[in-house]
Amino acid sequence: MIEINNVSKWFGTFQVLDNINESIEKGQVVVICGPSGSGKSTILKCLNGLEGFQEGDIIVDGLSLKDPSTDLFKLRQKMGMVFQRFELYPHLKVIENINIAPIKVKKVPEKDAVKRAMELLERVGIPDQADKYPGNLSGGQQQRVAIARALAMDPEIMLFDEPTSALDPEMIKEVLEVMIDLAKSGMTMVVVTHEMGFAREVADEIIFMDEGRIIERGTDKSFFKNPKTERARDFLNKILF
Amino acid sequence: MLSYNFNWSVIWSEPYGQWMLQGIWTTIRLGLICWFIALFLGIVIGTFRVTPFRPLRIFGAVYTEVFRDIPLLVQLFFWYFAAPSILPKSIEMWLYRGLPNSEFWIVVVGLSFYTSSRIAEHIRAGMQSIPEDQFNAALSTGFTHFQTYRYIIIPFAVRLVIPPLTAECLTVFKNTALAMTVGVLETTFMSQQIEAYTFQGIEATTAASVVYMVITLSVVLIMGLVEKRLAVPGLITRKGGQ
Amino acid sequence: MDAYEWQVIINNLSFLMQGLATTFKLALVSITGGLLLGILVGMARLSTIKAIYYPATAFVNLMRSLPLILVIFWFYFLVPVIAGRPMGDFFSACVAFVIFEAAYFAEIVRAGIQSISSGQMQAAYSTGFSYRDTMRYIIIPQALRNMVPSLLTQSVVVFQDTSLAFVIGLKEFLRSASIVDAREMRSLELYAFVGTVYFVICFMMSKMSKRLEIQRKHA
Repeated sequence: MIEINNVSKWFGTFQVLDNINESIEKGQVVVICGPSGSGKSTILKCLNGLEGFQEGDIIVDGLSLKDPSTDLFKLRQKMGMVFQRFELYPHLKVIENINIAPIKVKKVPEKDAVKRAMELLERVGIPDQADKYPGNLSGGQQQRVAIARALAMDPEIMLFDEPTSALDPEMIKEVLEVMIDLAKSGMTMVVVTHEMGFAREVADEIIFMDEGRIIERGTDKSFFKNPKTERARDFLNKILF
Repeated sequence: MLSYNFNWSVIWSEPYGQWMLQGIWTTIRLGLICWFIALFLGIVIGTFRVTPFRPLRIFGAVYTEVFRDIPLLVQLFFWYFAAPSILPKSIEMWLYRGLPNSEFWIVVVGLSFYTSSRIAEHIRAGMQSIPEDQFNAALSTGFTHFQTYRYIIIPFAVRLVIPPLTAECLTVFKNTALAMTVGVLETTFMSQQIEAYTFQGIEATTAASVVYMVITLSVVLIMGLVEKRLAVPGLITRKGGQ
Repeated sequence: MDAYEWQVIINNLSFLMQGLATTFKLALVSITGGLLLGILVGMARLSTIKAIYYPATAFVNLMRSLPLILVIFWFYFLVPVIAGRPMGDFFSACVAFVIFEAAYFAEIVRAGIQSISSGQMQAAYSTGFSYRDTMRYIIIPQALRNMVPSLLTQSVVVFQDTSLAFVIGLKEFLRSASIVDAREMRSLELYAFVGTVYFVICFMMSKMSKRLEIQRKHA
C-alpha cells in the first residue's frame, strides 16, 4: 500500500532523512520509534505530502508523491492524521470539527455528515461532548475527537504523530484503547510513538530510527526481546524503565 | 494627465539645496533631542506604573492616557498657541519674542511629552512580562531585591524592550515633520517651501521622502547593531517556525 | 491675563461640529478602505510567489518609513496630476489615508494570520482541505478573532491621524478650530476644547475595545 524508496531529505545542509526504505502492506500496523531528532515525525509527514523530500520516492496506493501531476489534496483525503498537539479547530464545536471536512471537501450533505460524526464520537467513547468547544475538553478527550475527525473522511491509512506525548498520564490509556480498537478492525496504521505497550499489543512491525536512518526492524517479539543493534539496545534500556 | 513639467534640478540648485540641508539638520537635531528626553521621562513614568505606590501608579496611568488619546498635532497646537497664555506675561513675551527658535523648543516640549508616554507603555509592558519566577529564582539563591533588579530583571527588560523602542525612535523622527505646522524649518517644511517657490511639488516631496527613508534605515541599522551586541542566545527568540 | 471666554466655543459650535463631522467621515472612509486594502496586502506579504511578496513588502516598508504628513502632501500633488483634473482636498486626503493606513493594517493582518499555529494548517491539509478552504474556514476565522484588539487600536490611531489633513486645508475638526482662532484669538479655550473632545472620544473607544477583549477572553 505504501512504498518508501530511498528517501532522503535535507534541511539546508543538515540531513534529516538518510535513504529510508520501507514497504507497508494493507492492514499492517507499523510503529516507528527512536530518540528525538531521529526523523521519525518527518518521514511520517512525508507520507501525506505535508513535507517534501529531495531524493527518492514514496508511492501511496499506486500514486507517486514525486510526480508533479499527483493531486496531493485528493491523496490526503485517503489518509488521516493525528497530531501530537491534537490541533482541533478552537473556533468550531466538536461536532463541527469532525464534519467540516466531509461537508466542505467531499460535499456530503449536512444531515449525513452529522449522523456519521455522531457515530464516530460513539466509537471513540464521547458522544456527549458533541456540542462543546475543544477548549472545554480534557487532553484525552480532545485527542479522541482528533481521531474521530481523521476517521470522518473514511481514510484507508491512518498516520499518528506521537499521539500520546502531550497527554497527562491518566489520559494516555483512553487514547491507546481507541487506537488498539482501530488496529484490530483492520486499519492500515503508521504510528510514531514511545508507547511500547501499544506496540507490543498490535504492531506488526517495529522500526527503530536514529539520526535519519532506519537502524533496526523487527516484530514485537524479536525487537523487544533481542534487539540486534547496540543503538537499539541502548534506546530500549533508556525508555523501558 | 494634467500637464506637469518635471524639473529635478530644483532639489539641488541654490538656494533650494541649501534649504533642504538646513531642514535635514533641523530634523535630525529635533529627533535626537526629543528621543533622549522622551527616553528618560518614559523610563521614569514606566517605572512609576509598576511600583507598589498607588499614587505613582495613578499618576503614570493618567499621564499615559492623556497623551495617548489626543492627536499629536492637537497637542503641538496647544503647546504653541494656547499654553503660553497661561504663563505669566513676562515668560510669554520671552517665549514669543526673546527666545530664538522658540517654535523649535516648544515642539521639543510637546513631542517629548507625547513620545515619553508611549515609551512608558513599552517599559511597563516589558517589566510586567518578566515571569515572576525569575524574581523568585534569584531571591532563592540569596540575592537582595536591589541585586535582583540590577543583575537579572533590568538586563532582561532592556533586551525585551529594544524592538518596540526601535519603532518608537522611528516614530519620533517621523513625527518631527509635524513641527512644520508651527513654522519649524525642518525637512517637510523646506520641501513645501521649495514647492511654493518653484511649483515642483512632486520633486520636492520626493526629496523629502528620500531623506526620511534614509533616516529610518539608519535608525533600524543602528538599533539592529545595538540589539546584536546585547543579544543572548536563546533568551528571546523571534516568532516564526516551530 | 484675560478672562476666559468659553462663549467663543458656543458661538461657533455648529461650525466646529461640522469640522468634527468631516473628521468622522474621513476616519470612516480611511478605516474601511485601509482595512480592505490592508487585508489584501497582508495576505500578499505571506505569499510564496515572489512577484506578489516583494511589491507588497516594498509598499509596506515605504509607507512605514514616511511621515503621514508627507504622504498627504504627496497625494495632494499627485492625485490631480493622475486624475487629470483637481479632485478636492477631501478626495486627496482619502486617497492618502487609505493607502497609508493600509500598510499598517496589513501588518496587523499578517501578524494575525501568522499567529495561528502551523499545526492548524497541517491538520486541515491532512483531511484533504485545499489552501483556499483552509484559509477560509480554519485560519482566517481564528486570525480575525485574534486581530480585533489591534484593529481597534489602529482605528483609534487613524481617527487621530485625520487631524493631519489640516495641512492641505481640509476643514476637519482641528482646522475648523484654528479658523475660529484666527478670527477670535481665543487659542486656549479653542484648543483645550479640541483636545478635550478628542480625548473623550478616543478614551471611550479604547475603553470599549478593552471591554471587548475581556469579553472575548471569557468566551
